[in-house]
Amino acid sequence: MATTKTKKMVTVSIDGKSIEVPEGTLVIEAARQVGVMVPHFCYHPKLEPDANCRMCLVEIEKIPKLQTSCSTRVADGMVVRSSVPHVETARKSVLELLLGNHPLDCPVCDQGGRCDLQDFSHEYTMGSRFTELKRVFPKEHLSPLIETQMNRCVSCMRCVRYCDEVMDAKALAPVGRGTMTKISHWAGNELECDFCGGCIQICPVGAITSRLSMYDFRPWMLKRAETICNFCGDGCQMTVQRKDEDLIEVNSTLGAGRNDGDLCARGYFGYHANVHADRLMHPLIRQADGSFEEVTWEEALERAADQFAQIKAAHGADAIGGLITARCTNEELYAFQKFMRGVIGTNNVDSSARYGYINGVKALQRVQGIHRWAVTFDDIVEADVVVLVGTSITETNPITGLKIKQGIKKNGAKLITLETAIPAFSTISNITTLATHHLTVLPGCFGAAVLGVIKGLVEQNLVNERVSSQASDFATTIIAAVEKISWQEIQQSVGLSLEQCHAAAQTISQAERVVVLAGQGVLRATGGEGIVTNLLDLLILAGHHGNEGSGVGVLAEENNEQGAIEMGVVTEYLPGPTKADDQTTQTMLAKVWGRDVPSTPGATMVEMLDRARQGTMKAMFIVGENPLESLPPDAKVSEALDALECLVCQELYLTETAKKAHVVFPASSAVEKDGTFTNTEGFVQSVRKSLDPLGESLPDWEIFSALSVLMNSPMEYGEVKEIFKEIRGVIPQYGLLGPTSTPHVVNAEILAQYLREGFKEDVEVRYTIPQKAAKSEGALTLVLGQSIYHSGKFTTRSKGLSQIQESGVLNVNPDDATRIGVEDGASLRLSNGHGEVTVPVKLVDRIPLGVAWFPEHFDQELRALFSLTVDKRNHVPCWKTTEVQATRVS
Amino acid sequence: MKPFEKILTKNMSNPQYTGSLQDYEATGGYQALKKVLAGVPQNDIIEMVKKSGLRGRGGAGFPTGVKWSFLPKDYQGPKYLCCNADESEPGTFKDRQLMERDPHQMLEGMAITCYTIGAEIGYIYIRGEFRFGAKVLERAIEEAKQAGHLGVNVHGSGVTINLYVHAGAGAYICGEETALLESLEGKRGKPRVKPPFPATHGLYQKPTVVNNVETLANIPHIVSRGPEWFAAIGAPPKSTGTRVFCLSGHVKNPGNYELPVNATFRDLIEELGGGMRSDKPMKAFIPGGASAPFLTPKHIDVAMDFESVAMAGSMSGSGGVTVMEEGTSMVWAALRLMEFFYHESCGKCTPCREGSSWIVQILQRIQNKQGRQGDLDTLSEICKNIGGRTVCAFGDAEIAPVQSTLQYWRHEYEALIQEAEALRATRKEKEIPVLSL
Ligand SMILES: Cc1cc2nc3c(=O)[nH]c(=O)nc-3n(C[C@H](O)[C@H](O)[C@H](O)COP(=O)(O)O)c2cc1C
Ligand code: SF4
Ligand code: SF4
Ligand code: SF4
Ligand code: SF4
Ligand code: FES
Repeated sequence: MATTKTKKMVTVSIDGKSIEVPEGTLVIEAARQVGVMVPHFCYHPKLEPDANCRMCLVEIEKIPKLQTSCSTRVADGMVVRSSVPHVETARKSVLELLLGNHPLDCPVCDQGGRCDLQDFSHEYTMGSRFTELKRVFPKEHLSPLIETQMNRCVSCMRCVRYCDEVMDAKALAPVGRGTMTKISHWAGNELECDFCGGCIQICPVGAITSRLSMYDFRPWMLKRAETICNFCGDGCQMTVQRKDEDLIEVNSTLGAGRNDGDLCARGYFGYHANVHADRLMHPLIRQADGSFEEVTWEEALERAADQFAQIKAAHGADAIGGLITARCTNEELYAFQKFMRGVIGTNNVDSSARYGYINGVKALQRVQGIHRWAVTFDDIVEADVVVLVGTSITETNPITGLKIKQGIKKNGAKLITLETAIPAFSTISNITTLATHHLTVLPGCFGAAVLGVIKGLVEQNLVNERVSSQASDFATTIIAAVEKISWQEIQQSVGLSLEQCHAAAQTISQAERVVVLAGQGVLRATGGEGIVTNLLDLLILAGHHGNEGSGVGVLAEENNEQGAIEMGVVTEYLPGPTKADDQTTQTMLAKVWGRDVPSTPGATMVEMLDRARQGTMKAMFIVGENPLESLPPDAKVSEALDALECLVCQELYLTETAKKAHVVFPASSAVEKDGTFTNTEGFVQSVRKSLDPLGESLPDWEIFSALSVLMNSPMEYGEVKEIFKEIRGVIPQYGLLGPTSTPHVVNAEILAQYLREGFKEDVEVRYTIPQKAAKSEGALTLVLGQSIYHSGKFTTRSKGLSQIQESGVLNVNPDDATRIGVEDGASLRLSNGHGEVTVPVKLVDRIPLGVAWFPEHFDQELRALFSLTVDKRNHVPCWKTTEVQATRVS
Repeated sequence: MKPFEKILTKNMSNPQYTGSLQDYEATGGYQALKKVLAGVPQNDIIEMVKKSGLRGRGGAGFPTGVKWSFLPKDYQGPKYLCCNADESEPGTFKDRQLMERDPHQMLEGMAITCYTIGAEIGYIYIRGEFRFGAKVLERAIEEAKQAGHLGVNVHGSGVTINLYVHAGAGAYICGEETALLESLEGKRGKPRVKPPFPATHGLYQKPTVVNNVETLANIPHIVSRGPEWFAAIGAPPKSTGTRVFCLSGHVKNPGNYELPVNATFRDLIEELGGGMRSDKPMKAFIPGGASAPFLTPKHIDVAMDFESVAMAGSMSGSGGVTVMEEGTSMVWAALRLMEFFYHESCGKCTPCREGSSWIVQILQRIQNKQGRQGDLDTLSEICKNIGGRTVCAFGDAEIAPVQSTLQYWRHEYEALIQEAEALRATRKEKEIPVLSL
């Protein structure tokens, strides 16, 4: 956990109330602490003071002029008065001046009822003497999602400052002078930005609003639920607001949640993904002719239960496999594995954590004995150095990205990026532009890049002395191992130079608090666990590992991947997670469950699909997971699913996978249920229902429960809380919501064991640069990656997000485009041994030479070009990179 | 008027003087720079400038040596000098002439200042419209570089001094020192909240000195001839040296005139300016640029130094004296200035942004004979609510013309309003209802 550096305390008096605050506190903040609310427009705790609105003026003894409390810092003995008559006069005057040019179109303004200008006017003004002409801005189009109403703008610049200071997008700017200043995108173009919605949220009036909910409501008509976003592992707290049974808008509260009131495009504009008109409303059963028929819950459940029972009787429990999405709540994940293990009787249970996150958690577990980060978001903010490895953080974990931006901007942290994107500016934020050292690493090369940095550390004799004396075997082994790697090899493999690696290593070594974050580029790669282990080695060698504020974090792409592993929804883990063959846990669970816990090792996702194809896996229960669209055709998922005797899918939408099912259960989305999610840094947070389940859909856990009853092995839960209670009994860390009661400290014993013995097992493999086939002349490395605007395929159904990005466009470096002879907006034909696909092209400066990037959310056609490699250690399916030749389509 | 020696305009007063490096050197140019680089400790120069009593000529009159001494002493890392050549104050045009006619004088001043404060880089932020001046300066910098007065290792001292010209883009507010810095950084030219001051957090948040062209042009002379010489000119100890006053308006001979700082307005207007242009007597004058409150003929014998003008209720500001003859409508004059301020308000602070637009509209109405009872009180109120409540001094500046014309010529406003009332009575025009909330 972060420690705040201790500051000198000073005493100030505000409206007669004395308070001790740290030196440097703003007067307005000190005032708030004694309960004096100084009215303000431009002040915002997240932003540097700009003192432009002049609303917060106060009188400070011994200073002749009134001072802006939002920019004045306290001094010892300061006497502040905020409610004397001439301060009130000054406030009234500011309001009178602002109202002069304000259209007062409150009746049609979305901010009406929660507007600072309204509220302060109500409190302070009697009227306005302004009888002149008001300024009028002609209507301008900013974006299909964000609307500006510049006549309402009070020029507080909060939107612009937020976009610059917090988002680092710099997409907004004031244009024009004086009263005719308006907020606009560059050169009046349509807005292109991160679409975080922050400008809308931070505007104190209704000058920037969301077009998704424009004119749809009055604030007091809305019912609110505080919940957690279901679109990525950051786990943002958000308020979902509905009018009757319609989702109207999502917003967030400053200071609340791990996101501290910030959101990303998916969180702010994506909520309709949950309630698209295509939602499955009724259970379905496949007919003889292949079509689906709507049936009652009884029929569907009975059909599934019968099938499972028959197959189990005929072929044994291990002929059935279960796969669930890590988007579900902990309760549902737990109930699912309990259903598979306890009711069906198999360890064939897996989840989307298999796509890569498992690699990270296993490495953490192995080296430090805990399956969670030893650091938190707060440590990222307080770090001296943050190292990003294959994260695409702004796209994949935007809020974790904001913590880094905050650390850099507010605390002067240094950033080292081992990332594919290159530093290039645009109005969509790009974390690499903030890096002190940027090392361009193409997908598939992160392992080699990490070795380069470790070599840099070793070569400069920066291995921490304590480590080399206390863990001399470990240190000498690693030192010897990296010495065997030549710079030439590294240069050839990742294109990094000695100088780059030395500089990065030196910066890491010199810092005190170092946080390393590994993302999908690492986790989804073959040998991903080894790369994360090497990152832990790096921190150990540099002497930072285990120190307060230092550690390695692995980033979850989906909202509950951490939870999925902790709930035991990966083949090799029981809840805890503890190893599936751990007999103590088996015995404990058997007691709690009142059922046997299977001891035969289970099959992972890829193995289950293989077995299905081979005919030994007869039935699968797939919940919210869509392997057909998450793996390339090369993985032969289609053949596997076709070979099943029984496929039961539980889904929000009729996905390609669900279309192959024999029985389909309509599930409820995250906004229709209660439960908990565990975010990537290990915070357990409450998910709360904001809508009643759509149609006949039911929360997943209710379906499992019903099915278990029909299978004569009832898991009887009356409400979701009962499951949580059971989880608590089984996993002590779930004793409390929120942060685990104690920080996640490294288990010293396990670490010592790793340094003594554990590292040896695979050190050779980990410290070898894998052979890479030389790239053929002129070929592009085609990468499928996460876009900032979408979460899996799920949000492509969001009416908000689809307005920003509704299809995939291939991003290529302008120089490559020139070489190929293709222009922005034209099309390219991509081909390799697997096939040929034609895609539209966009020239993007941040894409490095030789790379073509495509948003994975729209990979329907492109998947055909990829081949699957299965990671040996953890059976992670790896396939997001391939090589293609690109030719112009004339 | 006592005889005196011109300092800043001495060279250019010679019709043969071209402002070239050769000409400048012939008058002893760059000797002061050589002298200090030969080993005068930086602190001694600061003390010298303090002792000279030199005060900023950009408007605020801040003691220059004191300003320099605010830079952190042992600061590691870059520091900057910025020469404020944005001269955009209506009625002020001295910097332009100083730059165009004797560029090296200012460049030498900058070089000495750079050395003194430990800056390797000096920027000249020049008003965008001064295309010619910018060219002259660029050429002069090149000449000075060739001659070794600028560049790396100047005169073998190991000191690096590089000067660059940066043109503004047409905003008056960029003359305000922190807006200037923002603009120089490539941002929108908006004043910063102070503190922190440029001395500690200036250009790129580094310690920075911002000085006016004329201020800097004085430096070589102070170094060459000693602070005592300079301090003896004018009204020591507070206001010393000479100033280039810009005379404009209804006078016979408008132009730039260098005078000891404590010469009187009569010296400037009558002796040098040749008095009024016609037989109409003087009605009013602005003593120190558009931001200074108007004065009346009874102030003609006031001395032009900072203190004396302040005592008279105005300020000597940028040294721009604009004279108006009898018959000038003071409401019109105030409106004209207010239109300028409205156009130039950067829009950062509510009172200045909204207040200027409101005042302009009221003045326009009054001028167009649509004034109303109560307008004058409203005007005064708005002014009061702007003054002292804004981020930069522009707020105080923009109310000066309105407040001072209301003070001395309120009857002119009242007459126009009465006319409007009378017109309304005949037209039975409806009052626009006053908005109430
Ligand atoms: C609105 C405004 C405009 C200004 N314009 C100028 C200008 O054009 N030139 C100038 O030298 N100073 C100008 N100043 C004064 C500068 O802020 C600053 O005080 C001056 O450059 C400091 O130099 P000095 O100490 O040499 O006078 C202006 C100030 C304000 C408030
Ligand atoms: S990134 Fe876009 S949505 Fe977010 S604050 Fe900037 S302009 Fe607004
Ligand atoms: S749009 Fe809103 S946040 Fe932005 S400057 Fe205007 S009032 Fe402030
Ligand atoms: S997608 Fe992630 S970062 Fe975005 S709002 Fe949801 S939890 Fe937060
Ligand atoms: S006083 Fe006027 S010019 Fe100065 S910062 Fe405020 S709005 Fe801008
Ligand atoms: S809140 Fe302080 S000036 Fe705006």
